[in-house]
Amino acid sequence: MNHSRLLALAIAATTLPAFAAPEVAKPEKAGTCAACHGETGVSANGMYPTIAGQYANYLEHSLKAYRQGTRKNAIMGAQAVNLTDAEIKQLSAWYAAQQGPLYTLSVHGDLKQ
Amino acid sequence: MLTARRAVLAALATAFATSVSAAGDVEAGRIKANTCMGCHGIPNYTNAYPTYRVPKLGGQHPEYIKAALKDYRDGKRQHTTMHAQGLSLSDQDIEDIAAYIAKAPAHQ
Repeated sequence: MNHSRLLALAIAATTLPAFAAPEVAKPEKAGTCAACHGETGVSANGMYPTIAGQYANYLEHSLKAYRQGTRKNAIMGAQAVNLTDAEIKQLSAWYAAQQGPLYTLSVHGDLKQ
Repeated sequence: MLTARRAVLAALATAFATSVSAAGDVEAGRIKANTCMGCHGIPNYTNAYPTYRVPKLGGQHPEYIKAALKDYRDGKRQHTTMHAQGLSLSDQDIEDIAAYIAKAPAHQ
């Protein structure tokens, strides 16, 4: 293989979609969550937290606590009890990757209007 | 008759409204929320045992923040540190903190 061929191959490889960061597929069970938490985890109702963009391992911890019953909520307990560890991991990763309004607070800066 | 009934209802509604705490005061909340910032004001800050990141609170619904704080305070939601913090909070403190968090600046 000559140099120009190798170069062409290298350029092609870097532009292949397979080399892009893998996008997390929407988990099947997310359909149930949407009823309260919104289609992508941005909740429209103050009773239900926004979960889009929240830390994945916090979401995972919460779902496991609901499943175990250490965090008590009639709706969430009933949903989480049917989830496997793998499903909890998938759901948490997917919601954490969604765009949303959540951010880390700061003591510095001006109040939002 | 109808207006009299309405007047009674309005009076009752006012009585109920005043029996719960007043709307949150952002400035009072800023001072009361100072302790929260030690964990919730640091990006990627991690809870120890079990290990997970402390949740982002900016942009969250104030109603949910209030419910969570009351549950921690009242022992309905378990977390040693959050329960300890919650114990010192009145309903009014919680209103103030939630009002502040709703307007708090973002970490840059």
